[in-house]
Amino acid sequence: MTAQGGHRPDPGGGGRAASAFQTLRQSARTHRAVRERNASAWLLPNDGTRFDHALIDRMRRYPDGDEVDLVIVGCGAGGATLAQRMARAGWSVVVLEAGPFWDPDTDWVSDEAGSHHLYWTEPRVISGSDPVPLGSNNSGRGVGGSMVHFAGYVPRLHPSDFRVLSDHGVGADWPLDYADLRPSYERIEEELPVAGQYWPWGDPHSYPYPPHPVGGNGEVFLRGAAALGIEARVGPVAITPGRFGNRPHCVYRGFCLQGCKVNAKASPLITHVPDALVHGAEIRADAMATRIETDPHSGLATGVRYVRGGREHVQRARTVAVAGYSIETPRLLLNSADRRFPEGLCNDHDLVGRYLMVQGAPQTAGRFAEEIRMYKAPPPEVTSEAFYETDPSQPYVRGFSVQNISPLPITWAEHVAAQGHWGEDLRAYMRDYVHWATLGALCEFLPYADNRITLADEHDRHGLPVADMAYSMGDNDRQLVKAARTAMEDILKAAGATEVITIERYAHLVGGCRMGRNATEGVVDADLRSFAVPNLLITDGSVLPTQGSANPALTIMALVDRAALRLAEGARSGLRAPVRDTGTV
Amino acid sequence: MAARPTPPDRTAPGGRNPRFPGYDVLSQRGTWDAVTAGVVLARTGPQPALRFFTPAEEAVAEPLLDHLLAQWEEPRVPVLRMVDARLAELQTDGWRYTDMPEDPQAWRRSLAGLDVDAAARHQGAHFADLDRPHQAGLLQAVQDLGSDRWHGMPAGHVWNLWTRYACTAFYSHPWAWNEIGFGGPAYPRGYARLGIGVREPWETADQAPRDPVQRDRAPRGPEGDGT
Ligand SMILES: Cc1cc2nc3c(=O)[nH]c(=O)nc-3n(C[C@H](O)[C@H](O)[C@H](O)COP(=O)(O)OP(=O)(O)OC[C@H]3O[C@@H](n4cnc5c(N)ncnc54)[C@H](O)[C@@H]3O)c2cc1C
Ligand code: SF4
Repeated sequence: MTAQGGHRPDPGGGGRAASAFQTLRQSARTHRAVRERNASAWLLPNDGTRFDHALIDRMRRYPDGDEVDLVIVGCGAGGATLAQRMARAGWSVVVLEAGPFWDPDTDWVSDEAGSHHLYWTEPRVISGSDPVPLGSNNSGRGVGGSMVHFAGYVPRLHPSDFRVLSDHGVGADWPLDYADLRPSYERIEEELPVAGQYWPWGDPHSYPYPPHPVGGNGEVFLRGAAALGIEARVGPVAITPGRFGNRPHCVYRGFCLQGCKVNAKASPLITHVPDALVHGAEIRADAMATRIETDPHSGLATGVRYVRGGREHVQRARTVAVAGYSIETPRLLLNSADRRFPEGLCNDHDLVGRYLMVQGAPQTAGRFAEEIRMYKAPPPEVTSEAFYETDPSQPYVRGFSVQNISPLPITWAEHVAAQGHWGEDLRAYMRDYVHWATLGALCEFLPYADNRITLADEHDRHGLPVADMAYSMGDNDRQLVKAARTAMEDILKAAGATEVITIERYAHLVGGCRMGRNATEGVVDADLRSFAVPNLLITDGSVLPTQGSANPALTIMALVDRAALRLAEGARSGLRAPVRDTGTV
Repeated sequence: MAARPTPPDRTAPGGRNPRFPGYDVLSQRGTWDAVTAGVVLARTGPQPALRFFTPAEEAVAEPLLDHLLAQWEEPRVPVLRMVDARLAELQTDGWRYTDMPEDPQAWRRSLAGLDVDAAARHQGAHFADLDRPHQAGLLQAVQDLGSDRWHGMPAGHVWNLWTRYACTAFYSHPWAWNEIGFGGPAYPRGYARLGIGVREPWETADQAPRDPVQRDRAPRGPEGDGT
């Protein structure tokens, strides 16, 4: 075992003892504090199985006719966090989730091709000059949402991300500041929980847990970065380095993108759902929301229409939150058009579906004489945010981050095939698999109005128009991809790579219903409440106005943590629907 | 061909495992969880009969997939059946390019397209009737078109469709894992030896660590019977 212990060089140098002390202090106090506000990790079974079915058996169940305080569409990063927070606050909560209630023991496998069912594979159309392939790469389904198969990197945004428009005249400003989100970042980092070295970038901070040992791929990254004097750090990952509640530690099996059968990697299924259930939330799985119901007289949302077991229902509610992620949330709003909102719910200003973003995610692999065996250890290992901020000496604004990624055989074959290799050539490259290490960049692509979700002519099996996702890159975006590619090639070569190959791809979706200071700027405000319908919230990744070069899940959860606090604090009475619902069901 | 043929390795595609001789990831199946083992082992068992491809399509799809993966000898990963099953069960990735039909339709059209190309360039022949180099030539021509259109579809998107389905099937098979030295499923045991140049005790070292770039480069594409 080469990767244990503290002998790994800290490329950041200096401050090591002080930062180790901070991490230690933080982890000592977190367990108890976390359990008091979110006991999910302690509600999981302790007997080697991964989910306590009694939690589901004993789950509270509301009849459709009951008007609950809150109905949430989607049980992913945003939806599950909101459900847990509001159930804790005493609200009656129903979550409608299109996918199944996963059981990691029986539903997930340590296998790439066998994990196809984790992805959202209902039909979608991709268009634009740079169409973005979806499927396994972008969104999930089922209780836990996309985080069930997310890689597990959970960096924060930088303070500069909240004012890109003011600083550079492009993109957008957020209706809130980094400081508004910091306490939420800290809370969510404790609940996931997050492991990593002291973070020197953005708003410097420590993590609740120390970093994991790294595998061959991470070693390569650290070696190359050190040789070039580029700062790189181990983390931050939402993977327990030791026991956390009843969650065991990671066994370094490398299948994070196929769902963690160990319960080591965080997903809302194990970080927020158990606590939501014991506080009375109902999570109604296999329930596909088809329309948000509104009352034409009051202008308020009255509930959500959904299909379950082939039958249509309406769940009535005083407040509705949509958390279906950047494609399904705009699609649901557009599909909920009515007389008051002929262009789609909340779409008075033609903003619904627009400013959708992906990150440019070129992937560079290097060939080493030694065996790297990148399939071991969690794919998320090491990050550098040294290129995150605008570099005035460059022709482009904003930047990119660099992280390890560790493709398993099928994904690796796609990487090799994308170079044009086929036949014996492809096989020969593939036989060399154990000698390759891979880095991935996340480039901050800017938001553009024409990158958007619209409704296609095609219909899904529910008879609903499917989403068309149009994507085209801008000039700045292209320059970032080029720069990121060069940086990754340099790092790998400095680590000793004899050949490097790069493929261009995209990662992470955000935007599509962005927040703003007013109704002409955004669909929702900083509290995630829609401008058009006062008791309708959007609580998922679609609200991000810009994306930085950070993976989005932590920011999504933090935004929802903040919104939930504000919802629970004051606004409740104002949100109760003043009129009875009209003619639903 | 070697002068004295070695007995074929029944656990590697084509019966040869030059880099990891004797390595069989299936020998570890006792350490896998039952659900994963079920999914993986099913690939080594009998595959359902063809349901999606018509006989005419099968005649094109089989050599096409053989070429893409250079599978010329037994034992073969049953890629044709695996692709057929996915298409029959509509187990697609869910998305399609706006300038492409849905995957099943795109498969049918592209297979027909290869037959049309064969007839046009080789006096009315079927794709399946051509010898390997001529088949390879037609495939190379499709790849070389890049983003230009081919039978009404962007050639690059067709190429991407073919290789995506072919690679997903082939590299999901434990024999293919043996050939590349992959450790396979690892739950509940996990991996204990992380880092550069180390292996689990049951993993086999690379016996012929040849850089695919440094070796004598053949032109892209298949190399006949692959010696
Ligand atoms: C392969 C991959 C790797 C990733 N890696 C990382 C990473 O390392 N770090 C990171 O931060 N992020 C990562 N992400 C992205 C991250 O997972 C998402 O950004 C995040 O989960 C989005 O949260 P969300 O709440 O907006 O949506 P989701 O978590 O996707 O939740 C949406 C839920 O809504 C449900 N739903 C949608 N429509 C309906 C409907 N009509 N009715 C009922 N239910 C509906 C869906 O089934 C889904 O469960 C990754 C994503 C993928 C695909
Ligand atoms: S590597 Fe660790 S966190 Fe990732 S899936 Fe395996 S056990 Fe879970």
